[in-house]
Amino acid sequence: MNPMLDCQAVMRQLWAYLDGELSRDRVAAIEAHIAMCEQCYPQCQFEQTFLAQIAHARHEHSDLERLRTRLVTALVAEGFGDQGDRS
Amino acid sequence: MPGTIGGGGDLTRDMTDHAAEKQSKDARFHEEALRWLPEVTRFALSLTKSEPDADDLVQETFLRAYRSWSTYAPGSECRAWLFTICRNTYYREQNRERRMVVCDDPELESLAAAAIHMSAQQSGFGDVFAKFDLRDAVVRALGELPDVFREAVLLVDVEDQSYDTAAVVIGVPIGTIRSRLYRGRRLLQERLLAYAKDLGLGSPSASTTRTELPQ
Repeated sequence: MNPMLDCQAVMRQLWAYLDGELSRDRVAAIEAHIAMCEQCYPQCQFEQTFLAQIAHARHEHSDLERLRTRLVTALVAEGFGDQGDRS
Repeated sequence: MPGTIGGGGDLTRDMTDHAAEKQSKDARFHEEALRWLPEVTRFALSLTKSEPDADDLVQETFLRAYRSWSTYAPGSECRAWLFTICRNTYYREQNRERRMVVCDDPELESLAAAAIHMSAQQSGFGDVFAKFDLRDAVVRALGELPDVFREAVLLVDVEDQSYDTAAVVIGVPIGTIRSRLYRGRRLLQERLLAYAKDLGLGSPSASTTRTELPQ
């Protein structure tokens, strides 16, 4: 078995693996490789920490409650019942 | 009493049924649609890059959703349905749907990511994402990404949607989502690593440090 081919196969599917988009068998094979590979393990960690940075970088609205009030007012004008303005 | 004469009872019942039906519809809209306001607002902000424009887009999205609530299939993914309406509304009103086609092989993009990691590791930036909170830089870099890449990254990486759902929201094949997502991530990594280098966040000794594997 050529270890370079193994690494390349893992790297080709690393994003799909981290995104939970692969079959259980494929996940097991990739995890087994990563756990033993000095090249793929740090890359996997690098990509995981990168994805965590993106997931936490949410650009939130500065005043969501004001927007909610405005939205409910617009919905009420469309006939939305008053039971809908609880939040 | 009208309800006791001729068909009046039916009319009263019909009116009562109608009111109950509407009340139920509104309650379901509140529970299933309005709960996603923060997520839809983030998505709208990422599209418009302006809070006043995002406010208008969010309002229009929910008004359209409310008007067509009868077409929403109960139990389906309401958040994805709202994202779809939001995106379609934005692009239709802006008349700016991008027809840009990314033909790259998603797996080649994955290999490109491996090259970026190797380069980062060799120059001492292999652990920069683990060591520093780059939130502001990420938000800025996301805002600078071309639309087609930004929306794929936002749906999958920020809003935690599957490739399938992102493909439905954007209206492209799943392979296109992969290509756009992976390319978007690569562009983000390049920008963030450049930012980290500008700030001198690297560890000069990292290139010579042997990585420890888990026990």
